[in-house]
Amino acid sequence: MTETAVRVADPDVRRRAERLEFRFGDPCDPANPLGFRALLAADGSSELLSAAEELLDEEGFGAELVPVALGGRLRDADQLMRMLRPVFRRDVALAFGYGITSLFAAAPVFAAGSPRQRESVAKLLVAGGRAAIVHRSLAHGTAMLRGELTAMEYSGGFVLDGRKDVVINAERAGAVVAYVRTDPAPGPASHSVFLLDPAQLPDDGVRLLKRQPTTGMRGCRFAGYEFDECEVPGDALVGELGAGVRLALRTFQLNRTLITGAVIASVDTVLRAAVRAALAGETLGRRQRGVLAGVFADLLAGDAMATAVLRALSLLPGAAHLAAAELKYLVPDLLRDDLEELATVLGAGGYSRDTDQGMLTKLLRDLPAAGLGHAGTASCQAVVIPQLPALARHFWGREAEPPGVLFGAAESVPHLDIGSLEVAGGGDFLAASLTAVAARLAGSVPEGPYGEALRTMAAAFHADLLALREACLLIEPGDRAVLASPATAALADRHSVLSAAGAALARWEHHRRGAGFLADPAWLVLALHRYGRRLGLTLPPLPPDCVDRVAEELLARFRAGRSFDLHDAPLAEAGTP
Amino acid sequence: MSPLKRTGIAEPLLMPGPDSPWSRVRQSMAWHGHVVVHASWRDWLPAAIADPQLRPLLGARDWQRLNNLADPEARDRFAASRLLVKYTAGAALQTPPETVELASKAGGRPYLRGCDQIEVSLSHTRDLLVVGLNRRGRVGVDTELADRRIQYSAVQRHLCTPAERRWLGALDEAEQQRRLVRTWTLKEAYTKALGQGMRMGFTQFGFDAEAATLLTPQGEPASHGEWAFATFELDGGYLVGVACHDAGLRDEGDTAVSTMLDEGFLGEVVDLVGRVPH
Repeated sequence: MTETAVRVADPDVRRRAERLEFRFGDPCDPANPLGFRALLAADGSSELLSAAEELLDEEGFGAELVPVALGGRLRDADQLMRMLRPVFRRDVALAFGYGITSLFAAAPVFAAGSPRQRESVAKLLVAGGRAAIVHRSLAHGTAMLRGELTAMEYSGGFVLDGRKDVVINAERAGAVVAYVRTDPAPGPASHSVFLLDPAQLPDDGVRLLKRQPTTGMRGCRFAGYEFDECEVPGDALVGELGAGVRLALRTFQLNRTLITGAVIASVDTVLRAAVRAALAGETLGRRQRGVLAGVFADLLAGDAMATAVLRALSLLPGAAHLAAAELKYLVPDLLRDDLEELATVLGAGGYSRDTDQGMLTKLLRDLPAAGLGHAGTASCQAVVIPQLPALARHFWGREAEPPGVLFGAAESVPHLDIGSLEVAGGGDFLAASLTAVAARLAGSVPEGPYGEALRTMAAAFHADLLALREACLLIEPGDRAVLASPATAALADRHSVLSAAGAALARWEHHRRGAGFLADPAWLVLALHRYGRRLGLTLPPLPPDCVDRVAEELLARFRAGRSFDLHDAPLAEAGTP
Repeated sequence: MSPLKRTGIAEPLLMPGPDSPWSRVRQSMAWHGHVVVHASWRDWLPAAIADPQLRPLLGARDWQRLNNLADPEARDRFAASRLLVKYTAGAALQTPPETVELASKAGGRPYLRGCDQIEVSLSHTRDLLVVGLNRRGRVGVDTELADRRIQYSAVQRHLCTPAERRWLGALDEAEQQRRLVRTWTLKEAYTKALGQGMRMGFTQFGFDAEAATLLTPQGEPASHGEWAFATFELDGGYLVGVACHDAGLRDEGDTAVSTMLDEGFLGEVVDLVGRVPH
């Protein structure tokens, strides 16, 4: 079945994503066995919706997670994102439990595994199987990250010990990728990655632990493993001994970018429900328009940042790590605030459509479980903060801007090579974009109120980057006590907002001469205004029709059943394609 | 001080100045996951005015904001409230108070910039300052005068759900007043926890007569145990409402900044940054 599906799959990802979207059907139709009502019912009984998993099997979704060179359909991360959004807009837990976590498990194998290891994992995923990931114990970790495995070298192989209680898909994994402590000393060489085949492990060496109920992503099956003097062959090691932390740093940037970019579609669902509520209750007053347009602007700007990083993974594999960590640090936090704002519109006017409310509360439960909480941000801060002193000294204000293709959706980027992703260095391409766009806007004659607003705001963001540089120049590189201080964490917080502003400005500039809503500066001005408030900047007031222009586009897309992201893609709500 | 009903919320701690027993803040964060502290801003005033460190302690932005305030009392209260937040957050994060930056997000919600392991909420009325911190999820605090008079007949349709009007309407006037102020304080605390302040309609959600359970306008339970609520009466006739969220992540209880950056990740990146040619 899957073999056939892979062979007949449309080579055009846009059409493939559209096909998946329409095969899922209108999510609001209460009779749709793959709709919100059915998904909520499955969540209520702590299972994934089996009909939805069957559809993804039929579509050969596993092949989307495997690089083209290994027989799959994964060309680059930006394309994979298009395939993820139809799933994420319906159910984050389905996306995690069905498959995206298999890619996160497989990534270190694709990056550093032997040809045999890569082929075996690729074959497993293409055939619809799953790979489970056993993380190491992380600082400020949640239950999901607690506990870890250890390994000792023993007559050509290794002996594994230890337990991990919370592993997604532990019960049905055809491969297990484990970050295992191989050196008791703390530091970067402490861990190594192992690829294990559960069917080949000695019976008395490993025990499957019982399923753990969770507050979020209730439908996913989290269980655990306990290893007890479990002998594994020497060729289970992935890459070099002691390379585990670096492999995690290299591959996590892929996870971070994909999750954050895909969650934009999950918030699309709640924004759509809020628009429906506002229209149904005839409560689309000034306040509601402001909330709805503001969230829409956040989604577009967040997608601009996500898309730039997704494309950077192919185009600038040596530099994407910084922006990936910034993206994951900032955008989920903005989206969580957006969801709470939307709740005020959804609950107003006595409106209650149980599936809409249900999808909102489900998403608020699911997002923290999807790693979008403090444990997630802390590991991003560990990537960003140590780089700030060097960026201030060598890059900000001096670096050439990245190639324009980074911000152009129509042009394709090179194939993703997970093995080429780096961990540090490579500069700060979003800061470089901010500097370059601000300079161009400063030198141009402003066109009307929007030109003036953009020029002022870009200048304010750029000035903040310079202030940030002054502050970061005072930090001695490698001074861990200063790095691990709230004052430095606050600088990283500001830097993430400036990166997002740089991505949004560059995206708009790239499209300003084109057709469609992305050329309209209204969404950009509104989004930048929100970023500026978070930075505490003094900004000029919004042009008087700014909110209305963004709200009009939002309503037009709502009525036409089109997505609230950069793609403006048709959705199943629109009826037959 | 008397808790009106036993709940999952820790009793507010009095912290009358910089020399308060801050270990109790750490203890409350460790045991309960949250802490609520209160003080009279007048008690913090000597510290706020005398401290030659006030400018670095407040930071550039708050220093500027302070100097833009015309009313001397507003200035003093602002300085005192910032100091209370910074000392409390500093105790929870195990870091000097001046390194903590209190900022606000686009929607107005206060947050500790760069330290999302802890959520923060503040409130004041008359002389009282209240600060709430939570490491398990959102938090909202609000304070009102307990004897505040609100004309029930005038506000019921704006403040109360149909279910609340049913139980409030059945009470005598004194009791009705008492419970109305309590419910109102809690509604303020809950909408602040959601980051919405007054933007959320108070008839969109309600509480039971014990002011402990979140309900839909029709009176059905609206939370699956992820929210806890309590109101406390403090000396001086103040009422404090607290709303605490638990996202259910079962964290390890460590909120210290010094341990926040994973040793392995940090070490690897510091190493590489040192080696990369620029």
